[in-house]
Amino acid sequence: MKKRTIFIAILLFFSVFVFMAAYSQEDIKFVDNSAFAKPERAPSLFAHDEHNENAELEECSECHHVYDEDGKKIEDESSEDQMCSDCHAEKASGSKLALMKAFHTNCKGCHVKEKKGPVMCGECHVNNPAAGK
Amino acid sequence: MHDVYNFVSGPLVWVAFIVFIAGSLYRVISLIMLVNKKEKFIFDYMSFKYSLRSIIRWSIPFATVNWRKHPVLTVVTFAFHICLIVAPLFILAHSVLIDESWNISWWSFSDTIGDIMTVIVIAGSIFFLIRRVVLPEVKFVTSASDYVILAIVAAPFITGFIAYHQWFAYPNMMIFHIISGEIMLMAIPFTRLRHMLLSPFTRAYMGSEFGGVRHSKDW
Amino acid sequence: MSEPAKKEQEKVVDQGIDVGIARLTEDKIKHTINSVIKVETGARLKAYVETCIHCGLCSEACHYYLSQGNDPKFSPVGKVKQTMWEMLKKKGKVSPEFMRRAVEIAHTECNLCKRCAQYCPFGIDIAYIMTVVRRIIHKLGITPLYIQDTAHSHSVTMNQMWVKDDEWPDTLQWQEEEAQAEIPTLRIPLEKEGADIMYSVIAPEPKFQAQLIYQAAVIMDVAGVNWTMPATPGWDNSDMAMFTGDNELMGRLKRSHFETAARLKVKKIVMGECGHAFRSVYDMGNRWLGWKMPPIPIVHAIEFYYELLKAGKIKIAKKYATPVTLHDPCNVVRGGGLEEKARYVAHAICEEVIEMHPNREHNYCCCAGGGVINCGPPYKMKRIKGNKVKADQLFRAKTDGAETLITPCHNCHSGLHDIVTHYEIGMDIKFFGDIIYEAMEKPGAIDG
Repeated sequence: MKKRTIFIAILLFFSVFVFMAAYSQEDIKFVDNSAFAKPERAPSLFAHDEHNENAELEECSECHHVYDEDGKKIEDESSEDQMCSDCHAEKASGSKLALMKAFHTNCKGCHVKEKKGPVMCGECHVNNPAAGK
Repeated sequence: MHDVYNFVSGPLVWVAFIVFIAGSLYRVISLIMLVNKKEKFIFDYMSFKYSLRSIIRWSIPFATVNWRKHPVLTVVTFAFHICLIVAPLFILAHSVLIDESWNISWWSFSDTIGDIMTVIVIAGSIFFLIRRVVLPEVKFVTSASDYVILAIVAAPFITGFIAYHQWFAYPNMMIFHIISGEIMLMAIPFTRLRHMLLSPFTRAYMGSEFGGVRHSKDW
Repeated sequence: MSEPAKKEQEKVVDQGIDVGIARLTEDKIKHTINSVIKVETGARLKAYVETCIHCGLCSEACHYYLSQGNDPKFSPVGKVKQTMWEMLKKKGKVSPEFMRRAVEIAHTECNLCKRCAQYCPFGIDIAYIMTVVRRIIHKLGITPLYIQDTAHSHSVTMNQMWVKDDEWPDTLQWQEEEAQAEIPTLRIPLEKEGADIMYSVIAPEPKFQAQLIYQAAVIMDVAGVNWTMPATPGWDNSDMAMFTGDNELMGRLKRSHFETAARLKVKKIVMGECGHAFRSVYDMGNRWLGWKMPPIPIVHAIEFYYELLKAGKIKIAKKYATPVTLHDPCNVVRGGGLEEKARYVAHAICEEVIEMHPNREHNYCCCAGGGVINCGPPYKMKRIKGNKVKADQLFRAKTDGAETLITPCHNCHSGLHDIVTHYEIGMDIKFFGDIIYEAMEKPGAIDG
């Protein structure tokens, strides 16, 4: 009986640890792809802070953009308090890009423009069984 | 790497498609013009009905005596050719690129299906290679060019397969994949890969002769 | 011990080739090959050569390949590789020795039966390519002696067998008299203008198979057909020039044949049981003359008998009792679609018809047609050995019970006779006409 309690305690401890590690806001390693019903590829590798440091990004709205109804970017507003999928559904609607295309445009579009950073599929979608593709 | 990528996935794609399409048009049009110049009678014997009859019959696995005589080859060659044409058109990654470039939401199938089709093409290439080396009647008529065109066809699929699975040298493999695909497209009108363009015509003519004149079956 | 013997057998003395080859220069070869390819060929040759993917799938179509232990040298594409591909690749710069081998291949290792065209996924016409090779051979003057002699005969006499102008009507009158002993009122109408039918034959019939003319006359007479035969050259529908690549001569022959029919103002030409002649009048010769289809309808004997039997114009008194099997000749079946009519006739006149396999348009060639048997005795054994697969096929038909072999084609008849004899198959070989003559009711006959 005693043995079993200890076992459960250890199990609980480790599951909380694993849970915390995966969902820690402090340490983003992958783009959250939970909004995709059936993601085909591994989530895109993305270390938030490191990326911004390397890219020398000051403005959150660079990526966390807000567009008005006419499809114009609103310069002073940003949307870091929202999930990308709050606006971008899996399927495109009106002028709003589909979620996957939004990601690709946002990330790869900038990389192509700046000639920096990954542009080929597997450079972001790194196959890694640990990422739980 | 950015410059290389931009070049092979930008201007070189255009070059490849222009060469492929213009070259193919040239091949087909010049053939028809040659018929017009020297063998005009062929037009008189061509029959739409019998051309179609022959092409359709040979496009169905096991519908001809020779397909039935070679069941393994028949399965392989149909699977190989279907995957060879269909996979590049509807691979998810290609569809994404098409969407990004031209804003066309292109149909695609899942990566798993794409992966299976790629394996089928590679396995088919290996089958054809072994056939060339092992079967005396094939070996006897095989020349270096036969291996070259087989390699040209297999290369984009092998590199694509390795790149997709990110087994090694990912960025380079990706570049090889793109370049080899472009080489394959450009090779079609200028190597015996042009059987893709011309075989409907030879088939149609033979079908017309057998149907319209010989009152017999060409299968 | 068997090796030298084999070699000796392969070394063939053929004066047509040997003398011709001795006169060749590499320059002449090159010039001739290139001029034929450049001037006389076009999109077909180009498309065939460029489309071929070297897959070898045509191999099993060929009786030579199957009979020679699947030797790739005998596969259809293998023969193209050894001839046309080399000529194209080397732009005509090939040696006289190369040309000797090309003659062997094109004239004695291919019957132009076009079975391979049914097996190529792309429908490449290899027989056509071989015809182009034969054309080059003709222009180089290295055609095998025996077949060249028949072509000479065509050129001089307008028939294949050096039958002189007066021998022809003489033979017809002789057969008429013979037949009158059986049916006293029988005539072989000569030069009857406005008859429904002109009956034409190949020259070997008057030369040494005159009984076939006798039989045909009896069938015509009993059926009450309004028919005639010409008394002039133009009566022979055969055509070895088609097989030697002497297209100009082929044109002369066919023109003479069609013009004779036109002069007699007949409605159609009925021809005897011959395959190559059908190819010549129905497919090749008419095209050379610019006719899409024959200018005067051509009815092959199979179709003619079919019509007579179906209409009840000839009636069968007693069906042929011995079980028969039917050989489908390439030129009238793969080339004319007469397989079902042939079966109708066979069933109408025979008690039992046993199919050989494969049959109809997939039947194995006799290995005599396409001018191969006409290349003469030097190649007889090659032709027989080159068709073991036919012997096996006939053996199987015999095991199934067939004792008589019906072959509605002269070349097939002779070729299969050699096969049946050499492989000791023990079958009687007959034309449809032989059996019809034997089995039919003859109301006007003296003892019938």
